[in-house]
Amino acid sequence: MQNFEFYSAKSIEDCLDYLSEKKELCKVIAGGTDLIPVLRNEDIYPDYVLNILGIESLRGITEEDGEIRIGPTTTFTEMVESEVLNRTLPLLVQAASCVGGPQIRNRGTIGGNIATASPSADVLPAVLILGGVLEIRSRQSGSRLLPLADAIDAPYSIRLRPDEIITGICIEKLPPGTRSGFEKLGRRKAMARARMNMSIVVRTNEEGIISELRIVPGAVMPVARRMEEAEGILSGKRPDSSLMDAAAEALADQILRVTGVRWSTEYKMPVVENIFKRVLGQLLWNNKRGKE
Amino acid sequence: MPEDANKTLLHMKVNGISVEIPVRPTWTLLRVLREELRLTGTKKGCEQGDCGACTVIMNGKAVNACLVLALQAESQEIVTIEGLGTEDNPHPLQKSFVEEGAVQCGFCTPGILMSAAVLLKKNPSPSLEEIKKAISGNLCRCTGYSKIIKAIQSASKYGDVQKSLRVDTYWATSNAAERRD
Repeated sequence: MQNFEFYSAKSIEDCLDYLSEKKELCKVIAGGTDLIPVLRNEDIYPDYVLNILGIESLRGITEEDGEIRIGPTTTFTEMVESEVLNRTLPLLVQAASCVGGPQIRNRGTIGGNIATASPSADVLPAVLILGGVLEIRSRQSGSRLLPLADAIDAPYSIRLRPDEIITGICIEKLPPGTRSGFEKLGRRKAMARARMNMSIVVRTNEEGIISELRIVPGAVMPVARRMEEAEGILSGKRPDSSLMDAAAEALADQILRVTGVRWSTEYKMPVVENIFKRVLGQLLWNNKRGKE
Repeated sequence: MPEDANKTLLHMKVNGISVEIPVRPTWTLLRVLREELRLTGTKKGCEQGDCGACTVIMNGKAVNACLVLALQAESQEIVTIEGLGTEDNPHPLQKSFVEEGAVQCGFCTPGILMSAAVLLKKNPSPSLEEIKKAISGNLCRCTGYSKIIKAIQSASKYGDVQKSLRVDTYWATSNAAERRD
């Protein structure tokens, strides 16, 4: 590890001052589960490392007027154990429970998962599908809100200036009757980077017609995003097996157009179709076959 | 440059004892425990958070000591395998691991014991699934895990799994901080 100066910020103000002075020479550390391995490999060598774990106001989960606010240094374990999240946004709990193993979940944070912006992140796509908005602050420009969907632009990259920091992740509660599901495929059950994950949010009306559908596959594209084509095939329709098949195919097609044919395509395309049908089938018909 | 120019004084509690130790910013908690405090029971394995050999308890939670910068442990409470039990007064888990033959090469054992100790402290009679989940961040290349799981299940035969040496000293403080929302 190359030498750096370490500083623990005592408050958000303190943190903003430090960042505005050191800018790109500085890396922010929270749980460190992503950062420490890359520091050790000397993939990056910041002059300064700013620890934000000591800032109490950056941590914790609150519920206010239909909105959930998650502090960036809230750990995955805290998310999994959160009464608020289990009640309001179980999708986030599912995603957080799939990260690494217990030791990683005890240290790793939601803000870190987003700021690292790994293509194989588990929690990031879940926040994305829920329409999460980042609350960002800097000394220079005060605070601003940035939807996560607009924040991620490339693998391991997020549209944050070096003097900015995420101070909160805001997510609106889902309308009543909305169901959500998350599934992860790794090479093993625990401690694996996602080979693929799938987040789905769906709502049907009284006639069984899909009034809203959101699909975000993770770890299959450089940047996680909603899959409008597949969503369009099922939205406004009464779902059945053939529509499901068509949507799964559209999903795979759209992914293929983004990534091009790669060595893993032969494996990934049928699997992405199946995991999609499985998660959505579970939500619609309570079975994993994706059939009515 | 003199050797210590780049060091900062780190204060933490290790196995119930307050320590003050000059550390470099690049050092991990693992390095400080092993090289500075000579607590070599905590093992250095993959050094990237995959194997769990370096698992210690920090404020009541299992963490990989290789993924914590030493200076991030400022004012925190750490329990290592040395604090779990002693040769004269072993933790019930330690007795159980020996009796049930759950130790082969032994390299993963301290880490697994720490993960299991946290589990049993919260839940003295865990299900098979809960045990598997609790040790899912710890790799063992010898045993195939079945004897390890058996030993964790049987630990309560060898004493009170929730009461043990120094684990008690930190638990009171850590529980308060556990659920924040």
